Amino acid sequence: MARLEIASLSKLYGDFQAVREVSLDIADGEFLVLLGPSGCGKTTTLRMIAGFVTPSGGAIRIGDTDVTDLPPWKRNTGLVFQSYALFPHLTVAQNVAFGLEMRKVGRDDIAPRVAEALRMVRLGHLGERLPRQLSGGQQQRVALARALAIRPDVLLLDEPLSNLDAKLREEVRVEIRELQRQLGLTTVMVTHDQEEALTVADRLVVMSEGEVRQIGTQRDLDERPADRFVAGFVGRSTFLEGRAEGQGAFVTAGGLRLRCAVGSAAGPAVMALRPERVALGTAPLGLDNDLPGTVEFVSYLGAVLDLRVRLSDTDRVTVQMANRQDGMAPAVGARVHVGWSADAGRIFTQDAGAAA
Amino acid sequence: MATTLSASERREARDQVLTAGALIGPATIFVAAGLLVPIAILFRYSLNDVGPYKQMIEAFTAANYLRFFSDPYYTTVLARTLRVAVTCTLVCLLLGFPLAYVLARMQSQRKNLFIMLVVLPLFVGNAVRAAGWMALFGSKGVVNSLLMRIGLIDAPLEIMYTEVVVTIGIIAVNLPFMVLTLQSVIEGIDRAVEEAAFSLGANPYHMARRVLLPLALPGLLAGSILTFILAMNAYATPVLLGGPRFVMMGPLVYNQFVQQNNWPFGASISFVLMAATIVLTATANILVQRRYRR
Repeated sequence: MARLEIASLSKLYGDFQAVREVSLDIADGEFLVLLGPSGCGKTTTLRMIAGFVTPSGGAIRIGDTDVTDLPPWKRNTGLVFQSYALFPHLTVAQNVAFGLEMRKVGRDDIAPRVAEALRMVRLGHLGERLPRQLSGGQQQRVALARALAIRPDVLLLDEPLSNLDAKLREEVRVEIRELQRQLGLTTVMVTHDQEEALTVADRLVVMSEGEVRQIGTQRDLDERPADRFVAGFVGRSTFLEGRAEGQGAFVTAGGLRLRCAVGSAAGPAVMALRPERVALGTAPLGLDNDLPGTVEFVSYLGAVLDLRVRLSDTDRVTVQMANRQDGMAPAVGARVHVGWSADAGRIFTQDAGAAA
Repeated sequence: MATTLSASERREARDQVLTAGALIGPATIFVAAGLLVPIAILFRYSLNDVGPYKQMIEAFTAANYLRFFSDPYYTTVLARTLRVAVTCTLVCLLLGFPLAYVLARMQSQRKNLFIMLVVLPLFVGNAVRAAGWMALFGSKGVVNSLLMRIGLIDAPLEIMYTEVVVTIGIIAVNLPFMVLTLQSVIEGIDRAVEEAAFSLGANPYHMARRVLLPLALPGLLAGSILTFILAMNAYATPVLLGGPRFVMMGPLVYNQFVQQNNWPFGASISFVLMAATIVLTATANILVQRRYRR
């Protein structure tokens, strides 16, 4: 277990910049999640930490050791793959023992450590099975036990849950998180699934097009997204295109005058609104922004309803409301009022984070 | 579990049998008529006697087999053939595995081109290829005249009609078969499994020994068996490059049938060759499987 430092890490494939100047400082025992759409460079970053991709620039330190130029087998990292990557010709116990044998652990110490690792993932009774005789969830837990048995300095998880079905995914991710806490393991996980990321992470790194867009806690990303991309990728946002006028005023492309937090510079901008921060009623709501509109679309999602409300020919907002028995459930075409406080709308000027 | 099948289930089962029969039937009939029947006839011939004018006399005798194993000339040919076939198989494995590995892991769009290049030698017929080797290795060939011109040797080296040139010739024919067999098996091994071994602390040598080779074993076996059988039964290459002085089993069989007109003896040599090939292949198969079980 150790601290992991990544300094200005870059990777170029020809003239394609897969990873650009990524710097991360991961504390001992911290669970960091790299989150981003496919092709954002998160997997390449993880593979550079594991040693399978040679960086074009930058440095990686694990504890006090600079591992930038070390081959994978000389870095003490435990890696868990999306495809499990168990050795199909070896039993579960032999799979877990593999890393210990490579480390020249004495024969008498291997068996108890294998048993301990399998017990941690609650598979102590399946040591003699072959991987193909196990379910997907069991296989992934064997892969985890195999990575944990070597007592890695850093645990690396590459989309570890993507091949599991939804129910199992929740179960295994809670299990991974509990083990990680219990063992105090410095962990980096890569995922494109934001729900997965939000449940397990101490801190999240949002990446896009090879760059880090924001590093922060769940609350940071939700309440203070750094740019339009983060606002759209983590949680949901509706975007209203328009112009910031300064002094807390914003005019949409459709000509609506809205109030927003004071302090944003004037110029072409976009306002991002979280659907859960927008209120809806049949009469004016008395909020900073209060607009009449027409319900265009209703999604029934069980606990909540999603409504798309048209405010003008070009402006629409999504409103999320609790689905209560006694509450009103507006139908398509209903005339309603929507409203939100000035600080609920976040303004991003067009030059910062135009990609979305 | 005893169950009574409904009429429709029975009909379905019968249809499946008919479909399977229609699919495997033609090939089975072809193999049976074209291979098993001649082999049976040949085996019967090998037990026949030979008359004073080399005519076949109906009999049940092991004389032909005894003659083969009691004459050092013939046992030498058998030993030589085995030696060449084993050498060719080992060299093909050593040369073929790295090549097959690189091809299997290649992500380039030109991968198919490289695979075509591996197969390319097979586009050239055996006779044409042998003519090429003759031009290269003959006493007035390229290699000898080059060595003589630079003064390394005074008289031409005897390269043609030796074990070395025949072995080289057979390796050149068999290597593509080995590479293609290995490549398809290695492609089926998840790259992540190799990376898992590396991340667990295995260096490339340990990874290959503990993970890659055991997983590639079916390919190593299939490729070796294919190469070994082809080498044991090689005909054109030993005839053209070995000449009358370096005789192997394949040409020996032909010689008895066509030149000596001794069918019973030729048939018995065929069976010795077939038996040697099958016994060695099966033994190697069993030994390797047992060694690497799990």
